Amino acid sequence: MLIETDILIIGAGPAGSSTAKHAALNGAEVILIDKKSEIGAPKRCAEGVSKEGLKKLKIEPSSRWVTKELSGVLMKAPNGTSVWLNEEKVKLPEAGYILERKVFDKHMAMDAARAGAKIMIKTLATGMRRGNDSLIVTAETMGEEFEIKSKIVIGADGPESRVGRWAGLKTTIKPKNMESCAQFEMAGVKMDDPNSIEFHFGSVAPGGYAWLFPKGDDIANVGLGILTTETDKSAYQHLLEFVKNCPATQNAQPVEFNIGGDPVGGMLKELVTDNFMIVGDAASQVNPLTGGGIISAMEAGLYAGQVAAAAIRDGDCSKARLIKYQERCEENIGKKFKRDLKVKEYLLSLSDEELNSIAEAFQDIELDNINTAELIKNLIKVSPKALLKLGKLF
Amino acid sequence: MIKMIVNEWCMYCGECAAVCPRSLIEVRENSLIFNEGCKDCRICLQVCPVQALKKEENSDLS
Repeated sequence: MLIETDILIIGAGPAGSSTAKHAALNGAEVILIDKKSEIGAPKRCAEGVSKEGLKKLKIEPSSRWVTKELSGVLMKAPNGTSVWLNEEKVKLPEAGYILERKVFDKHMAMDAARAGAKIMIKTLATGMRRGNDSLIVTAETMGEEFEIKSKIVIGADGPESRVGRWAGLKTTIKPKNMESCAQFEMAGVKMDDPNSIEFHFGSVAPGGYAWLFPKGDDIANVGLGILTTETDKSAYQHLLEFVKNCPATQNAQPVEFNIGGDPVGGMLKELVTDNFMIVGDAASQVNPLTGGGIISAMEAGLYAGQVAAAAIRDGDCSKARLIKYQERCEENIGKKFKRDLKVKEYLLSLSDEELNSIAEAFQDIELDNINTAELIKNLIKVSPKALLKLGKLF
Repeated sequence: MIKMIVNEWCMYCGECAAVCPRSLIEVRENSLIFNEGCKDCRICLQVCPVQALKKEENSDLS
């Protein structure tokens, strides 16, 4: 059996569904496939998105998939000293809403379907070869093998992207750029402020941080990401220790366990080739500082869908035409990531003692009227190396 | 040939596949497939969040 289409998208996470929706809205014939039997499950992330991000994507928040609206961020140093930032003071990147990803991802796929995309679930792509100005993907669903011939194929198949590799793009992620993450969804969590997310820095999570993301009532995602190049223990072992020692989880019980890799090395340099594009975690479109990637994946999906549909209309699916997608991603996503990567490198260079003294210096500062330059000036006072690592960025 | 054992508690998150420098690991919904060509770099073993992968002892001698 051979199916023909304009655009085939592999992977129905937020990146793939956003791409499918915008490609279909712009007139292309779209097929979206996913290997799983349930879109959105199991989740591999902490489920935070910014309000600004959803607004930019023109997605109206729905009570079906928003579990919690947040008003602040609590950052904890290893000795427990907290710095509290609220929404009015600082723009919070991944801290607007906490989602229910299982529901959110399905709704994003439904939006793609309503825009005209055809969805095939429990459908695995097993290979890809070049055709005449097209790509032919072999796939299987419920024991049946078939082929899909598409003018453009878009890989949205996560950090483990095989599709990108089939197309010849370098998508392999180095261990030093891959946060190894583990998380419990727990009930009975007692947070300092149930309307704020908490980040815990230092040796609780070598090379990353630990988080508590409240989901309403006493429910929270409690997890952490580590760099396996910085510790001999697994993410799971670090998580068990964190939950054992964290005051908020002393009486908490897990109802779900999630794991996954988060590519935090900054966006891949090459996102397109002839008849092919890559989007989302597969393209490392993840904020390297926060590890958040839902909004950037969906924003990239918007650009990918628009550029792919326009390329179909013009009858030109060459790399030279599709590079417009890469340019828009670099301008709107990649540039900011480069700055955040520097901030992350600085943050990861700090010892527990340095983190403590920074938190102590900042805990009483009135952040209401402070601008970034003053913030950095204060930081340099307690952490002189900040000047070296961050001075040029601000 | 090097043989990998995938323990029962593997959750198919795909982190091993993402870091494999030779792209030898395929992640399906409920299975992992290791293709031939492993050079024993062990990066997949290191990154696994739950230490679900194990190299079969002496498998590289056979």
